[in-house]
Amino acid sequence: MEFKHEVIFCIVNAGFSEAVMDAAREVGARGGTVLHASGTANTDAEKIFGITIQPEKDVVMILVSSEIRDKVLHALYESAGLKTEGQGIAFALPVQDVVGLTAFTPVEKPTQKSTQPTEPQE
Amino acid sequence: MEKKVRKRISPPRIPPVKPPVKPPVKKDKTLAPHKLMLLVTIVPRRKAEYYVDLIASFECNMQLSVTSFGTSGVFGLGYDIDKQTIFSVIRQDRVSEALAKLNEKFTTIRGGKGVAFTVPFTSMVGVSSYQFLSNKQ
Repeated sequence: MEFKHEVIFCIVNAGFSEAVMDAAREVGARGGTVLHASGTANTDAEKIFGITIQPEKDVVMILVSSEIRDKVLHALYESAGLKTEGQGIAFALPVQDVVGLTAFTPVEKPTQKSTQPTEPQE
Repeated sequence: MEKKVRKRISPPRIPPVKPPVKPPVKKDKTLAPHKLMLLVTIVPRRKAEYYVDLIASFECNMQLSVTSFGTSGVFGLGYDIDKQTIFSVIRQDRVSEALAKLNEKFTTIRGGKGVAFTVPFTSMVGVSSYQFLSNKQ
């Protein structure tokens, strides 16, 4: 079953939601919603791996077309993945029906007319 | 004289046509259970309570309303970035009706523009939990 839209959830450390949105916008995403959350990390795992996990998290929810899903996920992995300061985890879920999305019509910049006279065509 | 007895030849008897026997109507509990879906609705915070009540009218027994923020690129221009995200569990047969109503409200209510979408459940556990979420006995 194919889905036209998918929703991407990206869980990052608090304060990195802007980085997530910037990365997503670069590859064609339009907007997202940020939810504040708290992580429940395993304290034993923290000791074993010698890392500290910041409990305050931001969950960024981005509704995208299925065509650009992979691009967005890849961009999030590069700019806000586990190897970055944001320590983000991103995943996508299929979306069956959507209402309320408006068609995006980019505003075209007025093109400057050339002042040079055109050569007459033969 | 012998009396000739004529035997009456009756036409061949056609057995009466029996009406087709209808298969017994299956009881509701033998039908496949309705699937559940997660309905995610992102609306302006001021209108959240209205939308929660609206969604509840579609046999939604459990809803979770979470404070959230829009990431619009036009900050500082009076654009309302304060949002509320409503996660609702809804039965699949009520989804189209609910989305149609939400779409109508998004376009008619001033300052009530939002987005709604559904994510299908793949599985769940617990009969009573299912009965509660689907509003079915």
